[in-house]
Amino acid sequence: MNNVFLSLTIAILFGLGTFLILRKDVIKVIIGLSIISHAVNVLIVSSGVFNGDNAPIINGHVSDSSSNIIFNDVLDNGVLAPVVANTEEVAYVDPLVQALVLTAIVIGFSITAFILILAYRIYEEYGTTDINELKRLWG
Amino acid sequence: MNSFTVIALAIFLPFLSAATVPLAQKILRHRVGWFASAMAFVSFLLIAYVAPVVIHGDTFTGAVSWLPSVGVEFSVYIDGLSLLIGLIASGIGIIIMSYSNGYMSHKEDLSRYYQYLLLFMGSMIGMVFSANTIQLFIFWELTSITSFLLIGYWRHRPLSIYGATKSLVITAAGGLVMFIGFLILHSITGTFDIPTILHDSSMIENIKNHDLFLVTLIFIFIGAAAKSAQGPFYIWLPNAMEAPTPVSAFLHSATMVKAGVFLIARIHPIFSGTEAWFILVSGTGMATMVLAGFLAFRQNDIKGILAFSTISQLAYLVTMYGYTTYHEPGIGVAAATFHLLNHATFKACLFLVAGIVAHEAATRDIRKLGGLRHEMPLTFIVASIGALAMAGIPPLNGFLSKEMFYESSVEMGAALGFPFGIIVPAIAVIGGVLTFAYSIKLIDGIFLGKRKDEFLPHHIHEAPYVMLIPAGLLSVLVILFGLVPSIPVHNIIEPVTSGILLETVHLHVTHWHGFTPAFMMTIITFVLGLLIYTKYDSLASWQDRLNASYPWISVNYYYDAIVNNARTNAYRVSSFVQPGFVKTYINALLILTIVLIMIPMIALSGDLIPQTLSFDINPYEALLMLLMVVAAIAATVLPKYIPAIIALSSLGYMVSLLFIYLKAPDLALTQILVETLTTIIFLLVIVRIPQTFREKLSKANLTRDVFISGLVSVGVFIVLINATQGIVPPFESLSHYFIEKSVSLTGGHNLVNVILVDFRGYDTLGEISVLCLAALGVYNLIHSRGER
Repeated sequence: MNNVFLSLTIAILFGLGTFLILRKDVIKVIIGLSIISHAVNVLIVSSGVFNGDNAPIINGHVSDSSSNIIFNDVLDNGVLAPVVANTEEVAYVDPLVQALVLTAIVIGFSITAFILILAYRIYEEYGTTDINELKRLWG
Repeated sequence: MNSFTVIALAIFLPFLSAATVPLAQKILRHRVGWFASAMAFVSFLLIAYVAPVVIHGDTFTGAVSWLPSVGVEFSVYIDGLSLLIGLIASGIGIIIMSYSNGYMSHKEDLSRYYQYLLLFMGSMIGMVFSANTIQLFIFWELTSITSFLLIGYWRHRPLSIYGATKSLVITAAGGLVMFIGFLILHSITGTFDIPTILHDSSMIENIKNHDLFLVTLIFIFIGAAAKSAQGPFYIWLPNAMEAPTPVSAFLHSATMVKAGVFLIARIHPIFSGTEAWFILVSGTGMATMVLAGFLAFRQNDIKGILAFSTISQLAYLVTMYGYTTYHEPGIGVAAATFHLLNHATFKACLFLVAGIVAHEAATRDIRKLGGLRHEMPLTFIVASIGALAMAGIPPLNGFLSKEMFYESSVEMGAALGFPFGIIVPAIAVIGGVLTFAYSIKLIDGIFLGKRKDEFLPHHIHEAPYVMLIPAGLLSVLVILFGLVPSIPVHNIIEPVTSGILLETVHLHVTHWHGFTPAFMMTIITFVLGLLIYTKYDSLASWQDRLNASYPWISVNYYYDAIVNNARTNAYRVSSFVQPGFVKTYINALLILTIVLIMIPMIALSGDLIPQTLSFDINPYEALLMLLMVVAAIAATVLPKYIPAIIALSSLGYMVSLLFIYLKAPDLALTQILVETLTTIIFLLVIVRIPQTFREKLSKANLTRDVFISGLVSVGVFIVLINATQGIVPPFESLSHYFIEKSVSLTGGHNLVNVILVDFRGYDTLGEISVLCLAALGVYNLIHSRGER
């Protein structure tokens, strides 16, 4: 992935998420965390994507033919997967990063759920979602 | 039994018996001290068993493998020096533990007391017989720790705690510095083994010519000085007097404080014969000798006087070991070794007397004591023998070693030439004069003069024999070594000296040498000592006034400023570093991360913006990305919760669309499902939290936050557009394997699925565990609500 626009999008998401994390309202902080985790997921997936590629689903019975260029690792030239220059032809996008991100999405979801409930309980106990106020109440 | 087994037994027997002390107490009750002293006696016999080897001028080394990976063994080195200190440690140990039977009240926690004493004794014996620096360091720090435990034995007294902490801080820290010195020594020589270095003259030559010679010497010497209370490190010893008096006699005069002197003697062959050795060792010694002797005047507590006297006497030893020239590396070694033995006898004796006096008269304040000679005649005699030996009165042993001290000072002075030929002996005499004065003060203040009835109990008894006999035994040794010096000199001092100088030495010690310079110096000492003694009190009060006017003159002032304020300062630092606001942490973290990423980024690619950039994009993708940015902006700026969450949710769905463009159909599916769930949970929670709080952003805060977020944005962007430029080291992609083997090994065609459930199934198991834990956490959070 060497696309300037995609990079720009990810970078903007990062910045907006950061701005939200710096807020005093717990709910806003959680929204910020969600935005950042979206940005990270997209970033990781995009690192395994190349031009002229296929989704990582094998058509046909056997795939281990050496004629297929799967990844063109040329270590001496510094060309490597999952980051491959645009000119390289590859058969599939990198499945490993997708598997990792799939895990990350699910874990991100469980963490979001947990901190949301945590925020809810904090509000129930202390009657506020203001971090500074909580700090004052906790002493 | 061979010598190695014997010494290993002598080292570990005290440790083992420390473990059995509580058991012994069950049987012996308050007489448990006799068990401890019996164990010390066995250790003494074991060490004495190997003495013949050493007396005939041999040394012995033995080892068993301990840490073979770093080349460290458990090894013992038996030579005169280790034998001497080993015998002192166990011998004085017997006396102290017997004496404690009378000194310690039966109500005290006796088993703890004797355990500490035995542990200390084992550590001390282990240290002196160590043949390698690692083992020496471990036992060295063990003696510091046991000393800490014993000084703080009375845990409820604030002064005990202060003294114990101070001794630990100074001696253990000194030990660490020494350890650095040992490591540098290892880097020079390639060995931790001490005898290997000692017996290899080319290696010693190599050390002396090495660039790191001075650094090594200074580091090791700091450890020794801290332990032996030399130079500015002396301050812990007076406070260590909070320990029970037998402990002070044992650790803080006869044995533990000798560890530093022992180390100086041990490394003497390696470092002596250089200017640095003389200046550092003798210089520190002479300064300490005079100052500590002088400061003893100010003490009212008799243990305080003894503490400063110990510092001053240890400084004698350090000074003498420091006397060195190129041709004659060990001018004062014989004198120092003899004085080391003598000091152990007369000073321990005096401490035991101090314990007796405190025990019977219920005070240790020399201003309140006086005239006890009638009531405690035997104690008076014993004390006088000890004090007169310290003052250097013939024919006691202190006289002999002081004469040798003067002789070696004259010799050293002569070797240095004018003006040191006068200065060095003069400093020695000043040290002797001060010693003489406070020694007389001890006898005069406690036993002579008028009885101060207003401060003292009506009837003071003579000490019980259980306390008197140990002190008496030491005074007998003082006289014996004085009258027949050839016994200790031939049996132990000569082997020690030979071992340090690495050549056979024959000594001849007599009382009368004729009218030598040393004899004249002794006469001067006595005369000046008596003169100073008449001014004793006015000198003491002058010191008091000086200290009151200029508190910063004392080293204690700095110790207290650093250590006692450590808590306040630590609190100040931690409340600055950890203010408790999440925002501060995040800011620090973000800025640090950006810096840490940007620096190698620029260093590796050399350029922030790469030359080749791809601006290719199809219109659908462009639209999608634009919408994502808009949704994210909306989620950020919309003030109300529900619209912001809807914006966030739409961002999530667009991410799943983007995944389709990125050729990740499984992710797109997952993302849609998860996003739906997340939105539902968000909304469920939000409807329960009314938006009462609305953050008001000041302009300054807004500017700062926008700046930080902008910085993050720019940083991420630069990293991303550089990421494809081959700035990371190449590595083989794992996916080759997965793509090739997917169908043949698992029969699956969807690579992502195959990776998740087959190749990297444990990742998925971990993911499910996280999900379970989060679910449990959510359940418990909700559940805990009902319990209020």
